[in-house]
Amino acid sequence: MTEFLLDDLTEEALTGRSDAAEEPSWLRDRRLAAFKRYLDLAWPDSRADEFWRSTPFQRRIDVDRAVVTTAPADVEVPASVTDGLDLGSATARIIDGEVVDITLPTAMAELGVVVTDLATAAREHGDLVRTHLGSLTTSDPEGTGGGSDRTVTVNDAAWTAGLFVHVPAEVELDAPISVQVHASTPGAHLPRVLGVLGHHARATLYLEHTSAPELDALVDEVVEVIAQDASKLDVVSLQRWDGPVQHLSLQKVAAHRDASIRHLTVTIGGATVRVLPECDLVGAGAEVRPLGIYFADEGQWFDLQPYVRHLAPHASSDVLFKGALQGHSRTVFRGNIFVHKDAVGTVTDENNRSLILTEGARADATPFLEIECADITAGHGSATGQIDALHLFYLESRGIRRDDALRLIVFGFFRDVLREIAAPGIEDVALADIEARVEAADLSKVQINDAALQDLG
Amino acid sequence: MADLEIRDLTVEADGAEILRGVTLDLDKGRTLALMGPNGSGKSTLAYAIAGHPAYDVTGGTITWKGTALTELTPDERARLGVFLAMQYPVEVPGVSLTNFLRTAVNATQGDGEDVPVREFMSRLRGAMKDLGVDESFLQRSVNEGFSGGEKKRFEILQASLLRPELAVLDETDSGLDVDALKTVAEGVNRLQGPDLGVLIITHYTRILRYIEPDEVHVMFEGRIVASGGPELADELEEHGYENLKTTA
Repeated sequence: MTEFLLDDLTEEALTGRSDAAEEPSWLRDRRLAAFKRYLDLAWPDSRADEFWRSTPFQRRIDVDRAVVTTAPADVEVPASVTDGLDLGSATARIIDGEVVDITLPTAMAELGVVVTDLATAAREHGDLVRTHLGSLTTSDPEGTGGGSDRTVTVNDAAWTAGLFVHVPAEVELDAPISVQVHASTPGAHLPRVLGVLGHHARATLYLEHTSAPELDALVDEVVEVIAQDASKLDVVSLQRWDGPVQHLSLQKVAAHRDASIRHLTVTIGGATVRVLPECDLVGAGAEVRPLGIYFADEGQWFDLQPYVRHLAPHASSDVLFKGALQGHSRTVFRGNIFVHKDAVGTVTDENNRSLILTEGARADATPFLEIECADITAGHGSATGQIDALHLFYLESRGIRRDDALRLIVFGFFRDVLREIAAPGIEDVALADIEARVEAADLSKVQINDAALQDLG
Repeated sequence: MADLEIRDLTVEADGAEILRGVTLDLDKGRTLALMGPNGSGKSTLAYAIAGHPAYDVTGGTITWKGTALTELTPDERARLGVFLAMQYPVEVPGVSLTNFLRTAVNATQGDGEDVPVREFMSRLRGAMKDLGVDESFLQRSVNEGFSGGEKKRFEILQASLLRPELAVLDETDSGLDVDALKTVAEGVNRLQGPDLGVLIITHYTRILRYIEPDEVHVMFEGRIVASGGPELADELEEHGYENLKTTA
């Protein structure tokens, strides 16, 4: 068998795999085109690449790994958020290098909803897949993803387990479509998801990332979703890695005319997690709400880079990311808003808030605006703080013990974000993960900001 | 020995001495008004009783039912039945009002067991109705975006749920219009009884028309300078604090 190494891809390996999966020739050609770009590019250099400046690629990401192309027969997969909910969800699992366990409820199938593996979709839904796969990354060199770095290009060339989701025009789904990406073996994992919502469709997509305990793996993921005219899309991505996983995830959506998108990322697990929730507002009147919460603990490094491109008039975006930190952890928020010269009437805002619980944690925040058009409304801000002594005193003065008071305050910090997306099960899971973090914290080390006390005198 | 005994209490905030030797007794079942001009130290006394971290007790004692309060954390004091209705209740962003109240009720009354949700909600709804607080507040965060009057109502609502034995009401009437003041005063009067001592801190006599004190004490420059019955409040109403300043 040909070796399949992330750092040393070969045309032979890619062609062999593409043929074995009976991919159409256009798909194989696309992989090879991406492969050529891969050969032309080096891995990101944190000294030269502004998007990698805050996260040292060489130190935090290990690319010297074989690509995992299969899934072991008997893998214990943690329950997913939708497992416990009787919602009639469509579910799919990507385990290591394979798509397994696709469940599409009859009710959804009858509406024409498609959830299938991407190689099958490339044969059976060729036009759709051919039009959209890579359209937001590198298959369109003139597009906004044309200049993607090698971490994206490598997925374009060599993605292993791919999933295709199609919600036809005017189909409105209440139940979520839940995709669980589970890593069980060491190595490099290259999952891929393509979603297409027809005009006036409505859907919720969960991306849930789990792993075997203590797993050392690199997951290099690309998710593309195209939301056509007047569709409504919620995407919720949970990073619940149970071990020192390195996770690079581009989650890019395109919002066409009057489409409305909310995108929530919840990052709790993993050693180095770099999520790029991106949105191209390509149609007039489109709107996007990129939301994020994260809680970093000892040794973790989270890098969140929401990127919104206003490419059409009268679109709006409102970015809000909130993170808590404890132990020696690092979080990076690099928000980017680009407003094209034709995007008149743009309304945009971007905000980042960090709550530092204990000494040794560091939160970097840089909200960027790049504006070519004068006729817009834009705001941005960031703030980093600690638990407020007055908040703590107020709760304690009601008999609430310090650990309970801290938990309430931390929950409260995240609550406004979680309440924006009433996605079934998500708030409970997120709060449970946050609670576990607070439980494990050394409360005696929590830093209290007593600046407000001085004002009372 | 009185239930609450304050002896020669001196308190500093931000390095400045504010209380300069306060002595005061309050028994359960009694209502005491502490009056005085702005800056006389009334609120400082309230905060010192509750254990506010910005106020340092530098001398003297506060003893509640035989226990030295100054040795205790604010939550321990509250679990001994001490409640402070604050002059400026703090907005705690995002903390759900319902969660907050439930945690507080369980901490102060649970005896280790949580109060059942149904019982808690029914008590909460009852208290809200009594105080004219709309049920939509259940969805809100603690004091967040509340008007001044709403904050004051919410303080008394907490008192009625937490069932304290010592309630310190710091300028509870400020920010309340007369109808709201009546509602809040009724709320306080409902709480009054043999198991509750009330310390009303107020600059004006207005609230004392609705909550009648057994005693009135007047504070000036960190000391109690006059004590008497309810008639003392009437005198202050008529002559203001100017006379006291000359006698002090």
